[in-house]
Amino acid sequence: MSWENLIYIADFLERSGERHVSLLGGEPTLHPEVVDFILYLVARNFVVTVFTNGILSPARLQEFKTHFADAEVEQLSFVCNLNDPVLTPASPGETERINTFLSILGPWVTPGFNIYRTDFTLDFLFECINRYGLRRHLRLGITHPIPGKGNLFIRPLEMRQVCRRLYSYREKFDAFRVKPGLDCGFPICQFSDEELGWLRRLGLSQFSCSAAIDITPDMSVYHCFPLSNYRRKSLFEFDSMAQIHEHFVRIKDQIKVEIAGIYPECDGCNYQEDGICGGGGLCQVLLRFVDEASVRLPEIEHELAKNRLST
Amino acid sequence: MSLPRIVCPHNQHLLRTFSGQSVAVRVDHWEKAAEAADDVCSSGNELFCVIVDTTAPLDEIVLPDDWKQIPLAIMVPTIGKFRNLTAKLKAWRDFNLRVFLGCDDASNRAALRILSSLGIQTCAVFGSGKDDWEALSDLMTYAVLGQLPHASIDPFSFIATNYQPNAWVDWGALYFDDPKHFLHLDDQGRVALSRAARERGDFVAQSLAECGAAAELPAIKHRKRTFMQYFLDNHACSFCPGWKLCLGRFSASVPQDNGCSGFFLEMIDVSRQFKRLNVMPQDKQVWRP
Repeated sequence: MSWENLIYIADFLERSGERHVSLLGGEPTLHPEVVDFILYLVARNFVVTVFTNGILSPARLQEFKTHFADAEVEQLSFVCNLNDPVLTPASPGETERINTFLSILGPWVTPGFNIYRTDFTLDFLFECINRYGLRRHLRLGITHPIPGKGNLFIRPLEMRQVCRRLYSYREKFDAFRVKPGLDCGFPICQFSDEELGWLRRLGLSQFSCSAAIDITPDMSVYHCFPLSNYRRKSLFEFDSMAQIHEHFVRIKDQIKVEIAGIYPECDGCNYQEDGICGGGGLCQVLLRFVDEASVRLPEIEHELAKNRLST
Repeated sequence: MSLPRIVCPHNQHLLRTFSGQSVAVRVDHWEKAAEAADDVCSSGNELFCVIVDTTAPLDEIVLPDDWKQIPLAIMVPTIGKFRNLTAKLKAWRDFNLRVFLGCDDASNRAALRILSSLGIQTCAVFGSGKDDWEALSDLMTYAVLGQLPHASIDPFSFIATNYQPNAWVDWGALYFDDPKHFLHLDDQGRVALSRAARERGDFVAQSLAECGAAAELPAIKHRKRTFMQYFLDNHACSFCPGWKLCLGRFSASVPQDNGCSGFFLEMIDVSRQFKRLNVMPQDKQVWRP
C-alpha cells in the first residue's frame, strides 16, 4: 500500500461518511510504514482496527509502544487472532512474542479466534483476557471455504456442533464477563432457543452475511476475504462506499436467487426474508454452485470459470 | 511608485538601511524566526513573512505557540518521519505557515499530499530537470480536483484558482521569484531580481536607494520583456500549448520534450474543470452604497 493509495482511500471513506477502517493482511504489522499509516488515519479521525497475529519483532513492538501507548482505545484497537496452544501450538519464539505484545498492548486488544474444527476450546482465551487485561469481547469467526481452493473449513452440517460447543462455554463467558462477537456465517437456525436467548441478552441479534469490503494495495475491492477472487472491481470505478455496497448487494442477490442459503430450508425461511439471518456465509453458498450442476445464471457461471472456482 | 517587497537575509544592520518596506526575511534555522520577525518590525519595516530555508527535515522543527501570528515560509528538503510530525501537525494548522518541498522524489510528493490532507498549506518546488511529470500530474490533479477539501498545494491550487482562458498566469511570486513583487538583497544590500540572480552575483543595483521607482528600473523592464525572446528565437516553448501557464520557466533547466508540455496542457484542462466545478450561482444583488 502506497501513501497515495492510502490517502485516496481515506478521502474516499471520509467522503462516504465512513469513519471505521480496519487494516488487515497478510500481516499488516510487517508493512515498513504501518506505524505512520496508523498515526495518519488516527490524525484523520478514523477509528482504526488493526488485525494482527501478535508476532511482532522487538523493534516493531517498541515502535508500537512508543507511538500508541497514549492512543484512545475508542480510536485505535487491535484484534489479535490467537491459536489454541494445545491443538495448534505456535513455536516457543512466536509464543513469547505474542505474549510480549499482549502484555504491552493488552488494553487495546480484542482477542479473536477462528473456529476451524468442531472440538475447539476457548479456555485459553479467557485466561489470556484476564492475564493481559484484554478487552472483554471475543471475536469468533468460522473458517470459510475459499471457493476453488479446497481449504479446511466448517461445513454446513457441522454448524450445529459448533453452536453447541460455543454455548458450552456460556458459564465462562458469564463468569469472566466476556461478550462473544459472532462474525458472519453463523446461521440462526443452528442455535437452540435457549442459546439464542443467551445471545440475545448479550445484544446479539444479527446472523447475516454482509460485504466486508476489502480494499487491496492495488486498489481492487472485493466482497470479503473468502470471495477475494470473485468479481473484483477497481476502487476507481466507484464514487462512494454506498455504490460499492450496492454493487455487492446486487451480486449477493444474484447468487441468492439461485440458491438461498447453505441449507435447502433457507429457501423461504422467514428469518432470511426479514434480514435477520443470511443463510450462512455467501462463500458457503457459492461453494454449492461449484459442487452442483450448472443451472445458474450465465453471468455467475462465467465468473466461476474465469476465476477457476469450479474445480 | 513603491518598491516591490524586499527579500533579505536576517541582518539587523541591513534592515536599518531602509524603512517603510514590506520585508520577507530569510533565516537558515527555525530557531531564529521569531527574532528575525521582531527585528524587521523594530526596523520600521513591515513583516511580510519569515523564510526559514533550512537543511533540517520538517519533523525537527519546533514552533512555539506564540509564533502563531508570524507568517512563515518553511523550505525543507524532506518532512522527515511522519510519526515525529503527527503530534505537531494538529497545532500547526492554526499557524500562518506554508511548507515548501522539492518534488524530485516520490516520498516528497507523497509528503505534500499528507500535509495537505491534514490541513497544512504547501508549495511544490519542481523544475530541477529530474522531474517525473506524470507523477506531478497526479499530484496536481489531487491538489485541484481532490475528492475532499484539503489545504492548498501551490502552485497548482494557485494556478487553477487564477486560471483565465485568455490570459497568462504568472506564479513566480509564490517562490519569491518575480521582480514585480519581490527584490532580493544580499548581506551588503545589493539588489538582485531573483534568488538565483543573487546567488550568482547578478545584481541590478548596489542598494535599494539606487532602484528609485522600481517599475522604471531597466533591468526589471527587461525582465518583464524576456518572454518576447522565446518568440523572436522561435524557441520550442513559444509554440507549446502549455506556454500560458509555464511562460518558459523551465526552458533552461528542463530538457526538451521530457514531459513538461504534456503536464501543463493537462494543468490547463484540470484548471478548466476546476472552474466549471466552482461556478457559483449568481446571488441576487441588492444595492449597496
